Amino acid sequence: MNVRTIVSGLLLVAAGSASAAVKIGQPAPDFTGTDSNGQQQTLSSYRGKFVVLEWTNHDCPYVRKHYGAGNMQAQQRDAADAGVVWLSVISSAPGQQGHVEPSKANELTRSRDAAPHAVVLDPSGDIGRSYDARTTPHMYIVDPNGTLVYQGGIDSITSADQDDIPNARQHVRIALNELLSGAPVSQAVTRPYGCSVKY
Amino acid sequence: MTGPVLAADSLRTPHVTLQLESERPSITPGETLWLGLHFELAPHWHVYWRNPGDSGEAPKVNWQLPDGWQAGEIHWPIPKRIPVGSLVNYGYEDHVTLLVPIRVPTTNPTAGEVRIGADMTWLVCRELCIPERGSLDLTLGISQTPVDATPTVATRFDKARGQWPVTLDKVANYQATDSITLKLSNLEWLPYQIDDVWFAANVWGPIAPSGRQSWRIDNGDLLITAPPGDLPPSDEEPLHGLLVVSERIGGERITRGFEIAAKPAEIAAATPDMTFLLALVFAFAGGLLLNLMPCVLPVLAIKALGLVTHTDDQRARHGFTFLAGVLLTFATLAGLLIALRAGGDALGWGFQLQQPLVVIGLMYLMLAVALNLSGVYQIGGRLAGFGQSAASQSGLRGTFAIGVLAVVVASPCTAPFMGGALGFALTRPSHESLVVFIALGTGFALPVLLLSIFPTWTRFLPAPGAWMERLRNALAFPMYGAAAWLLWVLSQQVDATGLALSLAGALLLAFALWWLGQNDNGARIHRVAVTLGLLLSVALATQAGRQDNAALTALEAQQWSRERVADLQAEGRPVFVNFTAAWCITCKVNEQVALSTDAVRAAFHARDITYLKADWTRQDPNITRELQRYGRSGVPLYLLYPAGGGEPQLLPQLLTESLVLAAIDQT
Repeated sequence: MNVRTIVSGLLLVAAGSASAAVKIGQPAPDFTGTDSNGQQQTLSSYRGKFVVLEWTNHDCPYVRKHYGAGNMQAQQRDAADAGVVWLSVISSAPGQQGHVEPSKANELTRSRDAAPHAVVLDPSGDIGRSYDARTTPHMYIVDPNGTLVYQGGIDSITSADQDDIPNARQHVRIALNELLSGAPVSQAVTRPYGCSVKY
Repeated sequence: MTGPVLAADSLRTPHVTLQLESERPSITPGETLWLGLHFELAPHWHVYWRNPGDSGEAPKVNWQLPDGWQAGEIHWPIPKRIPVGSLVNYGYEDHVTLLVPIRVPTTNPTAGEVRIGADMTWLVCRELCIPERGSLDLTLGISQTPVDATPTVATRFDKARGQWPVTLDKVANYQATDSITLKLSNLEWLPYQIDDVWFAANVWGPIAPSGRQSWRIDNGDLLITAPPGDLPPSDEEPLHGLLVVSERIGGERITRGFEIAAKPAEIAAATPDMTFLLALVFAFAGGLLLNLMPCVLPVLAIKALGLVTHTDDQRARHGFTFLAGVLLTFATLAGLLIALRAGGDALGWGFQLQQPLVVIGLMYLMLAVALNLSGVYQIGGRLAGFGQSAASQSGLRGTFAIGVLAVVVASPCTAPFMGGALGFALTRPSHESLVVFIALGTGFALPVLLLSIFPTWTRFLPAPGAWMERLRNALAFPMYGAAAWLLWVLSQQVDATGLALSLAGALLLAFALWWLGQNDNGARIHRVAVTLGLLLSVALATQAGRQDNAALTALEAQQWSRERVADLQAEGRPVFVNFTAAWCITCKVNEQVALSTDAVRAAFHARDITYLKADWTRQDPNITRELQRYGRSGVPLYLLYPAGGGEPQLLPQLLTESLVLAAIDQT
């Protein structure tokens, strides 16, 4: 029933209900955010390139799992080499775990030897909510047309244990390889796992 | 028998005390040994269910067992929904015991001692999450004959088993569209006083844990709607999950869990005989009809006539102001009802009239309006819309007030049309309910709005003059009638003292208003007198409202209860149930024209039909639930249960003698 859909749609929007924020095959929500170097980062300015979005919180044990083992940094480097734009996003609200000032964000990138294209600071949580980002890490891939092509976890073993990384299916790495070779993503939606995003 | 005493190992972290325990103090070859993993959690910290929800991680065990031993799956108790910001997790707070069955072979070992090890990882969270790990072990002796658990341990394990969900092998279906709809039939397993129902999928993906779910009972089916998760179920595979049902018994909340496996199927989007669009049409038509109700017509007629004195431009402005007043009041009323229902109150439309104080208040209001129409007093002519030469601010405010007043006086007169539409509305998510109420308000305000926008009709009226005053006085009488009717409703709710008090209040009110009319100049002493009179009548009303008539019973019909119906059905007898209320005009009309006739009485007698009456004059959650079972949120409802058991036949809301006789014939 069309009228019903329209009416309830309008009401849902009015009520500010956030459900099914993003969908595979649909345009990824555009955003502009300030990065740790004070630069504006706009998703749509990267049309023509694949973009990886990584929600992060340096104090979250699941984030530490992947940074501690060097898995995240290695994927960031490989992505950069393949011309993929990697944006780390921090949506922790001020006072919450993982919230950092720009200088601290840069310090973390240095000390962890990380290699994201930029670290976007989202203390209001607006970008995170527009993607319905729920965990750290929570990963998204946007294709050169601005379409969402992957959402979910960084890999398949939902633990905080570094030893599990070699045995896990690296979802993002595999998806990027598939996309770069022109193949469809074999697992476009996976379970994101980790700490909750501290909005 | 050999071996040491049961040695439960435990470990402690800042937020968790974890203990591994065996149910029996020793092992018997060939048995199933139950082990318990008991978490004691620091306040506000939680661990997770098998599907942790939006974030989090379920505890994992890696068992260290002798060769040939087999550890089964963790038996998960019913989890709670734990909100974390805008996310929702499924898990446990305070403490939880996870039980695991261990299959012990007959051959290994047959004597000595056995060490059982559990390497555990778990995540414990408050806002922050801490992944923890640890190993526990337990050494148990072997005994050829089973040794019973000690009473303390047995109690602990039985308590843990009491937290398990039960597997429901009933038909469950689901349909995945924009939302996931689950449908369960044959609801005899469902508790009666349902407080809340929610569903959790066993795994991540099919449904969004943080999404708002809604449930309703419709034609004997339980329907649950949940927003889909990132990975909605495909249309071929079953959806496995846990249905959690809470019931409130005497102020205590009891939660039960049901494991279900829902098969994909087509599920009708709404009640077969009432769709959202149809509900809107009915509500709109019902709103139009409300204009003709005796308690509303006078107010609106006067309002419409008041428009004559305005210019075209002012008229339109007044029309829309009136619409705003009406819509706002309907929205407020709907919001109140939705909020009360969300708070767990079992309410239906007409709920306002279940409170004696509200009935008294409405009665006083009708009386006050009637006295105004009779010319006993004026409120600067504003209430009636007369004498307003310009669309002044206060004039518009008066029009808005009339919109509000019109809805308030209309609320007792629910036209039969609206029963279905509002009943439907209240079973829907709140935004849909609100839209139905808005449609009702629009229909209600439409006649006055049209009259104000298209002023041509005024040409058919005689010039404003003395006839208007006469008409106005005449229109007071339907209002007096409405007041008399509300008094009669009240007489069913309070005892003689209450009635006397409310009548004394009415007398005082009338006197105060008369005084007001005599002393329009507004001298301070008069204002004080009027205010005192009004306050006193309010005080009397409050007293009157407390004089609850507890001894209210039906006369010839027996009192309805669900158990009574079940008993009579078990005896194989036919049963007729009349869901009614003193303030429900349709019910009273039906009882007069269709249920009290000699032919119907004779037919009841001939077939030995037991006549049960469910009186909803005052709030009764049992009756509300039963109404909901049949997709209604208000009375009347007529059920005819056939002889020899079985589902009842639903009779229409408007009864005739022949219709009732035909229905009886068919049973």
